[in-house]
Amino acid sequence: MSQKISLKEAERKAFTITIDDGLWDILLGCFFLEFAIAPLLSESMGDFWSSVIFLPFWGLVYLVIWLIRKYIVTPRVGSVKFGPARTAKLKKFTIVMLMVNTFVFILGLIAFLSFGVVSGQIYPAILGLTLLIGFSLAAYFLDFPRLYIYGLLLALSPLVGEWLFTHSDVSHHGFPITFGVTCSIMILTGLTIFIRFLHNNPIPVMESPVKEG
Amino acid sequence: MVDLRSEPDLHPLANIDQVIHAPARLMVLTYLYVVESADFVYLMRLTGLTWGNLSTHLTRLEEAGYIEMIKEFQGKKPHTIIQLTGQGRAAFREYKKSMAQVLDDLPD
Repeated sequence: MSQKISLKEAERKAFTITIDDGLWDILLGCFFLEFAIAPLLSESMGDFWSSVIFLPFWGLVYLVIWLIRKYIVTPRVGSVKFGPARTAKLKKFTIVMLMVNTFVFILGLIAFLSFGVVSGQIYPAILGLTLLIGFSLAAYFLDFPRLYIYGLLLALSPLVGEWLFTHSDVSHHGFPITFGVTCSIMILTGLTIFIRFLHNNPIPVMESPVKEG
Repeated sequence: MVDLRSEPDLHPLANIDQVIHAPARLMVLTYLYVVESADFVYLMRLTGLTWGNLSTHLTRLEEAGYIEMIKEFQGKKPHTIIQLTGQGRAAFREYKKSMAQVLDDLPD
């Protein structure tokens, strides 16, 4: 045997098999789609309602993904209860994500209240950095390397958007373009992985036990 | 034929647990060692074994008292949950220790 049996690697594989079906990519892509579409709606609906309108959309996406996971994914990959090490890691992840989200919320509130006072690249830079840190932490805690790339793309979106807004004739700080492209990449990646997952994992058919040789 | 037990230097090899030593069962136990419990389909996907093969190896492990299989129904479908017993966990730890000891002593 040329490969070392690593319990850590076995545990990692046991965990990633449950999350690597593309559905997380689709969920996150749909979530951040708000950054691309809300600025376009804000002119007719106002800032508040153009954001609030996404709540039922997210609810619907979450419900659809939950149903897909229950009726399509679980019969194909089965179910598992993780050990104490992974459970502790997931608890840490939840706490860290709560802290990051609180920070983002406060940041958004400050930006909303002082809109127009501080301009330029400051808010896009802070937003980008927060997204990068948040996604990097998620990638680390969930053993999900693709999130590093998404974090980087999402971090660049406000910065590139602001640059496009300043240097060319794009509207809404370039957010509809940059976040639109990033979210499309995330959703299309998720869909591709999900289709491949369905192809590679048909519903298992029960067989008789095989006699040992 | 050499009786391994009569050869002091090879004695640890003779003590290797043969139930665990089969590659498929070793793989199953390794995964069960790192999770709390898993169902049949999950183990099948993770190990790449067929339904029939996995079923055979699980029966062998259950007979040895290393795993516990809990059979239940999810709606009208049968659902089997598998978990390592205390005896199985101890046997796996012992197997790991014995193998490390035996292989570490081999010359390069």
